[in-house]
Amino acid sequence: MIKIMKNNSITVVMIIAALFLLYSPLDANALNVSEVEASLICYACPGEPLNIDRCGGGDQMRAIIKRMIGEGKTKQEILDVFEKQYGETILTIPPKRGFNLVAYVAPFIGLLIGAVVAFLLLKKWGITPQTAGAGAGSAALSNNIQKKINDELSKLDEEE
Amino acid sequence: MDMVTVGEISKFIAFVFSGLTIFFVLVGLMRNDVRFIESGRRSIHGATLFITLSSIALFYLFLTNNYQVEYVAAYSDRALPLFYKLTSFWAGQKGSLLFWSWVLSLFSSIVAFRTRKEVPNRNIPYVYLVLAGCIIFFNFLLLTVSNPFDLLEFIPADGQGLNPMLQNPGMIWHPPTLFLGYIGFTIPFAYAVAAMTTGKLDATWVKQTRVWTVISWIFLTIGIILGGQWAYVELGWGGYWAWDPVENASFIPWLVATAYLHTAIIQERRNIMKVWNMVLIFLTFVLCIFGTYLVRSGILQSVHDFGPTGLGGYFLAFMIIISLGGIYLITASYSELKTESTLESYISRESTFLFNNVVLLALAFSTLFGTTFPIMSEIVTGKKITVGQPFFNQVNTPLFLFLFLLTGICPLIGWRKASAENLKKNFLVPVVLTVIGLVTLLALGITEVYPVISFSLSIFVITTIVSEFKRGTQARMKLNKETVITAFPRLLFHMRRRYGGYIVHLGMIIILIGITGSSAYKIEEKATLEKGETMSIGDYVIRYDSFSSYKKWNRDVYAATLTIFKNGVNVGTISPERRYYINAKQPTTEVSIRSTLIEDLYIIMPGITEYEEITLSVTVNPLLAWIWVGSTIMVLGGLLAIIPKRKKRLV
Repeated sequence: MIKIMKNNSITVVMIIAALFLLYSPLDANALNVSEVEASLICYACPGEPLNIDRCGGGDQMRAIIKRMIGEGKTKQEILDVFEKQYGETILTIPPKRGFNLVAYVAPFIGLLIGAVVAFLLLKKWGITPQTAGAGAGSAALSNNIQKKINDELSKLDEEE
Repeated sequence: MDMVTVGEISKFIAFVFSGLTIFFVLVGLMRNDVRFIESGRRSIHGATLFITLSSIALFYLFLTNNYQVEYVAAYSDRALPLFYKLTSFWAGQKGSLLFWSWVLSLFSSIVAFRTRKEVPNRNIPYVYLVLAGCIIFFNFLLLTVSNPFDLLEFIPADGQGLNPMLQNPGMIWHPPTLFLGYIGFTIPFAYAVAAMTTGKLDATWVKQTRVWTVISWIFLTIGIILGGQWAYVELGWGGYWAWDPVENASFIPWLVATAYLHTAIIQERRNIMKVWNMVLIFLTFVLCIFGTYLVRSGILQSVHDFGPTGLGGYFLAFMIIISLGGIYLITASYSELKTESTLESYISRESTFLFNNVVLLALAFSTLFGTTFPIMSEIVTGKKITVGQPFFNQVNTPLFLFLFLLTGICPLIGWRKASAENLKKNFLVPVVLTVIGLVTLLALGITEVYPVISFSLSIFVITTIVSEFKRGTQARMKLNKETVITAFPRLLFHMRRRYGGYIVHLGMIIILIGITGSSAYKIEEKATLEKGETMSIGDYVIRYDSFSSYKKWNRDVYAATLTIFKNGVNVGTISPERRYYINAKQPTTEVSIRSTLIEDLYIIMPGITEYEEITLSVTVNPLLAWIWVGSTIMVLGGLLAIIPKRKKRLV
C-alpha cells in the first residue's frame, strides 16, 4: 500500500512539474517591448540581457523590436529574426530542441533521482515496530504533557 | 620602508607562517608531541598578523593616492570620496583575493584562540591543517599570480577611478558580506575533514561548528540580498535578480548550505544522516570555491565577473583536490558513517526534512546545470547558447513552490512520528484558511496560475507558523501561569533555535509575496516630457516641474524634480538624476524610488535634451518592499537562533 502511495506521489509530483514546465505565462500576455527584450541578449554587450542593458546597441535593438511589433509580428517571429541574424546566443532562453532539451529535462530528472534516493534511504532506515507503537501511544498524551516534553527537549537542545 | 614594501614583505611572512603551521602540526602528529601542535596553532596567529599588516598597507596606499601601484591606479582616483577609496580595496580581483586571505586568517585565528585548551584533542590539529592549507593557497596566489602591490613603470598623475556603478552603499557591503559567507564555511569544512580523518564521526563536529555554519549562512544571505538591492537601485532595469552566472554562483552554495542546516539538526537529534551531512558540507565548500572560480576564470559571460584573470586554472585545481580528497575521505569512512538509527514513521519531521533537502538540492542542481549549460552545449554541439532569466524562472519556479509547500507542512508534522489524529488537528486550520484565502484571491480577480498558487501557499505557510507560535505561547501560559506578554518573548528566547528557524521561514514567505507581486503585476511606461507636462502610470500621475544641474564630489549631476500624484493626491516629489563621473566613459542614471509596502514607484531618466526635455522610464513594482522586509526578518531569525545561552553561575 505504502509502495503504491509512494509511486503515485512521485507520478503526481512529476506531472505537476511537467505542467508547470509546459506552462509559459509570457505566451498568454499581450505583446510589448519589455516582454520581448527579456528574451534577448544585447548584441553589443555579450552576456547582458537586453532588459538590463542600457547601451546604444541595446537601444537599437529595442527600436527594431518596437518596429516589428508595429508591423504585427508575434514574439516568436521577432525572436526568430534575431536568432537568424545573431544565432542562438542572442536568446536568453535556449529553444526547446536538440541538445537544449537536456537543459529542460535534467533538473526534473535530478529531482526524480533525489526523490528515489530519499525513498530508498527511508526504506533502508526502516520502521521500528516497537517504537512505532510507542509513538502511537504518545498521541494519547494530553497536549500539555506533550508540550512539556517538547519544551524539555528544546531546553536540552539549548544546553548541548 | 615604504608601504608597498611593507605589503609585499608582510604577505610573504604570512605565507611562511601558514607553511610553518602545516609543518609544526604534521611534526606534532607524527611525534605525538603537543608542543609542536601548539607551535602550529600560534603560527596561525602569526599568519593573521602579517596578512593584516599587508591589508593595512593596501588601505594606506589607497588613502594616499599611490598611483604607481597598478591596483590602486585601476580602482581609485583623486576625486573619489574617502569612503569609496577604502572600499576600493575589494573592488578588483587582486584586492578581493587579499581580503579573502585576510578574513580567512582572522577566522582561523578565532578558531585557534577558542581551541587553545583543546590542542591535545585528536581532531583539532587536523582542523589547523585544513585551515592553514586554505590560507596557504590564497597566500600563494597573492605572492605569484595576483599581487595587489604590483608597480607600474611610471607614476600616473591620477587613477582611472572606481566604476560609477560600484559607487553605491549596497556595493560597499555586498562583496565583503558575501565573502564572509563563503569564507565562513571553511570552518565547518575543516571540522568535517578532521572528523573523518580521526574517525570521530558522531554529531560533535556538527555541534561545534553550528554557530559558524549559521553565521556564514547569515552572511551569505545578507550578501545575496545586498547584491539584489544594489542591482535594484543602481542598474536601473527595475529588477533585483537576473539569474546571472555570478549571482547564481552565490545562490547555489546558499541552497546547499540551507539543506545542510536542516539535516544537521537531524544528525544532532537522531545521529542519522552522517554521510549526507558530510557530503553537504563538502559540497557547500566546493561550491563556494566554484563561485570564486566563476568570477575569476572568465569562462562564463557575466556583468559581474572580473574577466579572464589567469586564476581559473588554480581555482579549478584547488576544487579538484578538495573534491577528490572529499570523495576519498567519505568513501574511506563510509562504514563508520553508515547510520544505525531507524525511523518510527514515514510521516515524520525527519522525512519532511529529507524531502526538503531533495528539493533544495534539485534547485541547486538545476541552477548549476543552467549556469554551466552554455559550456556543455559548446562542447557537445559546438554552438554557443545563452541560458538566462526566463529559463531559470521557468524551471526553478515550480521547484520553489514545492519547497514552500514543504516549509508549511514540516512544522505540522512532529518529530519521530505523527499520528493521524494529530495530523488532522494540525492541518485543519491552515488548510481551511488557505481555501478561504484562495477563494478570496479568485474573487479579487487574481486568476493567473503562479500568483494564485504562490499567494495561497503564503497563506498556508504563514498560518502554520503563526499556529506554532500560538501553540507554544499558550502552552507556556498554562504551564507557567504566564501572561501572553511574558510568555511570547520567553518562548522565543528559551527555544530560540526552533523559533529562530520559524522566523527565517516567515521571512522567506514574505520574500515570496514580494517576488510574486513585483514580477506578476509590474507595469512599465516610458515618456518624454517638457516642463509642466505629465505622464500617467497605474494610479500615478507624474508631473515634470523643474531641472537643475550642479557639481557634487567627483561628478556632475543633472536632476529633474518630479511631483507625484497618486489617485489625484500629491504624495511628494522625487528627483531622478543623470550623472557624469570624472574618468567615466559613459554617463549613468541614478534611480529615484518612492517605496511603500504596497508598491514601489521606480523612475529613471535615461535621456535629457539641450532644451531640458527629459525621457522617463517608470515602473510600478507592487509589493517589492516586502522582499527587503522579509530579508531583514530572515536575518533576524538567523541571529535569534545563534544567540548564545547564558552561562550557568557556579554555586
